[in-house]
Amino acid sequence: MNYPEIDRYASIDSPIHNFDPRAKIITFMVMIFSFVFLDSITKALVGLGIASLIYIIAKLPKAFVIPRLKVVFLFLSPLLIIMPLTVDGQVIAQYHSITITLEGVRYSSLVMIRALSAVTLALIMLGTTRFDITIKALYMLKVPGTLIQMLMFTYRYIFVIMDEFQRMWKAMESKGFKLKANRYGLSVLGNMIGMLIIKSYDRAQRVYHSMISKGYTGNPRTIVNFELRTKDYAIALPMILIALLMHTYHLVL
Amino acid sequence: MKEAIRVKGLTYSYPDGTPALEDIDITINEGERIVIVGPNGAGKTTLFLHLNGTLKSQDNTVMIFGKNLDDMKVEERIKEVGIVFQDPDDQLFMPTIFDDVAFGPINMGLDEEEVKNRVKKALSRVGLEGFEDRVPHNLSYGQKKRAALAAVLSMEPRILILDEPTANLDPKSRADLIQVINDLNNDGITTVIAMHDVNALPTLSDRVYVLNGKIVGEGTPREIFSNSELLKMTHLEAPDVFKLFKVLTCFGYDCDTLPMSIDEAVEFLTRTIESGSGHIHLHIHEHTHEEVRKFLDSYNHH
Ligand SMILES: Nc1ncnc2c1ncn2[C@@H]1O[C@H](COP(=O)(O)OP(=O)(O)OP(=O)(O)O)[C@@H](O)[C@H]1O
Ligand SMILES: [Mg+2]
Repeated sequence: MNYPEIDRYASIDSPIHNFDPRAKIITFMVMIFSFVFLDSITKALVGLGIASLIYIIAKLPKAFVIPRLKVVFLFLSPLLIIMPLTVDGQVIAQYHSITITLEGVRYSSLVMIRALSAVTLALIMLGTTRFDITIKALYMLKVPGTLIQMLMFTYRYIFVIMDEFQRMWKAMESKGFKLKANRYGLSVLGNMIGMLIIKSYDRAQRVYHSMISKGYTGNPRTIVNFELRTKDYAIALPMILIALLMHTYHLVL
Repeated sequence: MKEAIRVKGLTYSYPDGTPALEDIDITINEGERIVIVGPNGAGKTTLFLHLNGTLKSQDNTVMIFGKNLDDMKVEERIKEVGIVFQDPDDQLFMPTIFDDVAFGPINMGLDEEEVKNRVKKALSRVGLEGFEDRVPHNLSYGQKKRAALAAVLSMEPRILILDEPTANLDPKSRADLIQVINDLNNDGITTVIAMHDVNALPTLSDRVYVLNGKIVGEGTPREIFSNSELLKMTHLEAPDVFKLFKVLTCFGYDCDTLPMSIDEAVEFLTRTIESGSGHIHLHIHEHTHEEVRKFLDSYNHH
């Protein structure tokens, strides 16, 4: 089956792929936060440029990043229309009582550029590491255990549940069911989702039993061997410096 | 001989009121190969959940190696009893195979070196060397099943409990798995198995318990399969080889014990032919067909 795996390209060889996962998470988080708070379009564009550069270094295929960015773009595109019409400021175009303001255009483009660079960075971060390694890195970074376990089980069982859904769907199609947006179709779909939830509940119980029988007492423990090497510092330091400089260069220069 | 498991007067109903087990008495010696058979819903899985304390009965009814299960610490318990459940997807709950197989040993408090050793050993035992970094959702069903077994073997339990280990496996995987289980038993591990696959049963058991809410039968596979009343009552079947040789006796084949498996059949046939005049003699007399029909009827569910 074809799973939309976030870590499908995690086995490519690139400096970003080989970057220590903990350092990667910290570095990328710093950059994302830095880029999200940039206050001018010029800076935001520089940020987007840097993100694109890292994307090129990471050698991730376009097919991985572009469709996902498209979703973000679609999601935010209402802003591009609404903000120029609603934000007060210098009017640059007018049609009857509808006005478009410069501030509005600026503001909405700023939001869009920041979002695109943040998402690009996040995609590179997740896309260049096997997801289980990302979880372990978070574990090493002392992210609370409950959160780690939630991530872990989501990652593990999302596929099982997708398979289950697919099987149910096939079973229904083989009995001649076609989804139509009418009352009957929706009620069948609702039943199916209900079934899925019950099945998941039963499964959760069985999984819990099997965890107990392996000595589970409430906290997840695992063995992780990550080692920070010189090259990791060599990547992390400049990136973090850039992230900081974007906000503080006027103090330095 | 040491007693590995003793269950005395175990009764259990699920919280919603479903009665599952009634007054179960079972005694299993160390090193024995036990198979538990029974129809769907007989309570096999429920019984197993009691054998390592996942489900608790009201009173102290389960003893493991002479010790009361309820008094044992978690680490101690998982060192004695390991359970492999039916659905491998329920048991591989960690992100990678390594994490899954390491899960038990880590909970036992072993150091890192030892954990890694055990993972390696367990994976090679089930023929999954080098699968450490694989993620469960990319494995085949048979591989998942073996990984689930490895995840229990890594705890090196003295008693190994398997819930339908051979279900849904292709013939080769099934034979491999049976081999692994018997090897483990030869190493001194007590094996307790629930299964519906009667043709594989004789190769995995010295003694059989028949469960149907309560224990309704106990004995060697031969004793159990000779009892057609019991089989009928519990929706069980006898192995095909066993039935075939029983039919042969109606045709005049003379043997005191019936073979349970192909291997045994070959052995018995060789013996009878060699001790006879170099051949066996089959014939039809006036009652033959009646006898055959009567026999088949006694084993038929319809
Ligand atoms: N979580 C539960 N809550 C309520 N009743 C349950 C639960 N699990 C099992 N039962 C019931 O307990 C009885 C015994 O079930 P169990 O799963 O132990 O049977 P089984 O012998 O393992 O069957 P199978 O061969 O189908 O695996 C059944 O009647 C079942 O419906
Ligand atoms: Mg069962």
